[in-house]
Amino acid sequence: MTSRQYRSNYRRQLPALVAVVGGGLIGSAARAIVGFWLPTPTGHFPTGIFVINITGSFLIGLYLARRERAAVARLSLPFWAIGVLGSFTTFSAFSLDVLRLLTEGQTPTAVVYVVSSTVGGLVAALLGQRVGQAAG
Amino acid sequence: MNILVATVAGALGAMCRYLASGTIQGRSRSDFPVGTLAVNLSGAFLIGLVAGATQLNSTASVAALGFLGGFTTFSTWMIETIRLGMPALRARAVVNLTLTLGAGIALTAAGYSLTN
Repeated sequence: MTSRQYRSNYRRQLPALVAVVGGGLIGSAARAIVGFWLPTPTGHFPTGIFVINITGSFLIGLYLARRERAAVARLSLPFWAIGVLGSFTTFSAFSLDVLRLLTEGQTPTAVVYVVSSTVGGLVAALLGQRVGQAAG
Repeated sequence: MNILVATVAGALGAMCRYLASGTIQGRSRSDFPVGTLAVNLSGAFLIGLVAGATQLNSTASVAALGFLGGFTTFSTWMIETIRLGMPALRARAVVNLTLTLGAGIALTAAGYSLTN
């Protein structure tokens, strides 16, 4: 690819990139605030990240189902799904909390956390889709 | 102050996720969500490195954790797994779920043991 093609690709991507960053500010601020309200004491179930990941999974299902039915702006997807909900939810903090629970000897809590987050996240996203489809 | 640092770092993480995930997915000919897999696994490794590095001061670690929080994503992982599994439960949905989970936690542990 020539440098001119790179520049033109970049220019075409710029509005979506701005939408992702704008949404990312909102999602990250919301995650930081929830984390501040619901801190996890050492050795305990990480309630804050759990609530964030389940809520975010429900909302992404809801958003994508609504998006199929209603006309939305081109930048709506990068803003809401990739920016806001993508940054609100997190895999890295989830993974770190699992490791912490395991190294603290809280294996049962770690297993409950992994299973409830993944099964709960899948159920929440499916439920969000159903609600979005039912809304007509 | 910490919330502000985490917010800005998280938005930068979101931007990097969008660019990295899009580039990787674009180069792959598969419809398996390798873009999200790559950002989540690399983010899991990096958060292990950060958590193990106890010499980091608190602002640097808030910024790093905020960045990686925005860089990795749970909601997209869930929705992409559901898409792979539609209409019936398919093997690839299970692979996406278990590979991210198993490799992610192993990489966090590897990162942690490298710096701690």
